[in-house]
Amino acid sequence: MKNVSILSLALLMVFSLVFAGTVMAQDEVTLTLWDIRTAADQATPAVKDAIKRFEADNPNVNIEHVPTQNDNYKTKLRTAMSADNAPDLFMTWGSASLERYVDAGKVYSLQPHMTEDWRNNFMPAAMDLGIVDSEVYGVPVTNVSPALVWYREDLFEKHGLEVPATYEELVNVVNVFKENGITPFALANKNKWPGSMYFMYLVDRIGGPDALQKAISREGAFNDQPFIEAGRRIQELVKMGAFPRGVNGLDENASQSRTLLYTDRAAMYLMGSWAYSGFKNEAPDMVDQFNFFNFPEIKSGEGDPSNLVGTPGDNYYSVSTKAENKEAAVEFLHYLTDSKMGEELIAIGNIPPFRGVGEKIEDPIMKKIYNTSQKANHIQLWYDQTLPLELAQVHLNTTQALFGLEMTPEEAANKMEAAAKKYYGE
Amino acid sequence: MNKKELMNNKYFIAALFLLPAVLFSLVYLIIPIPLSAYYSFFKWDGIGAMKFLGLENWAELLNDPIFWSSMANNFKLVAISLVVQIPIALFLAVLLTRKIKGADFFKTIYFVPMLLSSIAVAFLWRYMYDPTFGLINGVLNLVGLEQLTRSWLGNPDIAFYSVAAPIQWRFIPLYMIIFMAGISNIPEQLYEAAEIDGASNLQSFFFVTLPMLRSTVVNASVLIIVGSLKYFAMIFALTGGGPNHASELMATYLYSKSFTEMNMGYGSTISVALFLVALIVSVVFLRFSKKDVRN
Repeated sequence: MKNVSILSLALLMVFSLVFAGTVMAQDEVTLTLWDIRTAADQATPAVKDAIKRFEADNPNVNIEHVPTQNDNYKTKLRTAMSADNAPDLFMTWGSASLERYVDAGKVYSLQPHMTEDWRNNFMPAAMDLGIVDSEVYGVPVTNVSPALVWYREDLFEKHGLEVPATYEELVNVVNVFKENGITPFALANKNKWPGSMYFMYLVDRIGGPDALQKAISREGAFNDQPFIEAGRRIQELVKMGAFPRGVNGLDENASQSRTLLYTDRAAMYLMGSWAYSGFKNEAPDMVDQFNFFNFPEIKSGEGDPSNLVGTPGDNYYSVSTKAENKEAAVEFLHYLTDSKMGEELIAIGNIPPFRGVGEKIEDPIMKKIYNTSQKANHIQLWYDQTLPLELAQVHLNTTQALFGLEMTPEEAANKMEAAAKKYYGE
Repeated sequence: MNKKELMNNKYFIAALFLLPAVLFSLVYLIIPIPLSAYYSFFKWDGIGAMKFLGLENWAELLNDPIFWSSMANNFKLVAISLVVQIPIALFLAVLLTRKIKGADFFKTIYFVPMLLSSIAVAFLWRYMYDPTFGLINGVLNLVGLEQLTRSWLGNPDIAFYSVAAPIQWRFIPLYMIIFMAGISNIPEQLYEAAEIDGASNLQSFFFVTLPMLRSTVVNASVLIIVGSLKYFAMIFALTGGGPNHASELMATYLYSKSFTEMNMGYGSTISVALFLVALIVSVVFLRFSKKDVRN
């Protein structure tokens, strides 16, 4: 009898120890999540809510959310990755920005977790950019956002202008606004990527999507005719006064572009579809006046005017190989991509990269963005995400120099090609 | 040596107290210098494998026109800062150490720029420089000087001077305080003697204050020289070195090479070059200013 009680006591102790151990281990699970969802980011509430829902369902897991402003985030993530201090969960823009870390063995493959159901949840075009070597490493979460030409409907009406369908018509619109003392395009190009949008669209409209693909695969070159012609047209627009004076000194992050639109000083704005939520937040009383059109066609060019430049997924969330609790991290990704998340993103003004969201969208502008994206023959991802980092920077710098008339189109294209030759080791 | 003896040994105690500071400066200040020099021989993106290049980075640096123009900008900044900050700071310091009404009030007011963070100051000036809505162009338009309005940060010819201005504004108070401390250390008798000899205010400034402040001015100049050579914050926030490298400094260039383009090897090369330039310039300057004292 005594033996039994000692045994049972011992068993109880073992049990309680094991139990206490598991409880303690469960208590200790903390996942760090890095992304750009600062207070100013429109998708922040949706992500915060997904965190809340996940934590409610998994009381033992705690998510430490560390948001960082966009440009600083890239530096912070790279530095952390190189110091082997990667957070458990992090965010990229897919494609080259993700591939870089996959190649360095920093990203955990989501392939084993990709059930049929989960995979079918995503728009295929969006999913593509999260795939490296036919394995999924990142899931698209936030937004389908093409760059579009936003414009003030009332200003177009006031000056009797129609939405331009061709480049020639665009030139006419630019001239009319210029004559009436209105800056045709609001643009702040200190940040370099806003100006790059014009270049990417012009290259597409002149040479079609092949121009870039060929330059990257090295069948073509970055100083082929479409790139030079795109630079020439940018400078033509600059000389016509299509952009604000000193455009390379204005800061997009400080809204120095949109302020011109809100004060009737500018009429058009080539920007990602996220601009629409900016209008809603910053100028709620004039948001009805904003509409958009596709970048005009160039008659002599090869590009289809339905083609878009932008991103089909915007932000991709991944799990790092450093994460100790990968199961929980992957589970959290499910919360970030479920239908509740989709609804919240729509409510905020985003188009989630999930299937079957079209009929849930009520806002006419957003519906139009969704349809425009669906109709696009081709969506070209931003050059600075497509190209390797070394070339992306040369692209951004030379394009900024084009806007400043500090380089001729030939010089800019040759500089880009020289950098490509060096990078690809030719 | 037993424990008690050890605790009574003043060198041991001193070493004990120095240890944290020495460790800190070793890890964060001393070791990174040879480490950067080491990285400068590699091609490295900070994440993947390092590839030995030998002196290739250094050869590239010597042939890199942007590096040379950013170094030229650094020296321009040194010159501007010396010419602007020292005389103005000296003038304000002399003024505020005199027994004038409200000196304390002005002391506080003049010190404010120093209390603001660089990034806040940069944003303040960014909005002042806005070509359409900014204060500067606004005032110029108001007083009928439209022809003087500029796109201050967007025009490559003037962008550098536009970013140099807030740097002056922000750092003058620092040297003003340093000079004020120096002036309060000058014995009163010297001024009384000068007054008895019939010296005017201007004369007592040039023959008493200035010579007595000599070492303070030299030290302030070294601070300005080194500070301007490695300056980064407000240029980064205002123009990021642009447009087209017009306002690039060595430090902003090193930042964009290392962290935007992820070329850590080349970034390290620039940082070592920056270190060497700052070292040489300050050693030479100190050598020359010492010589003068002996004469």
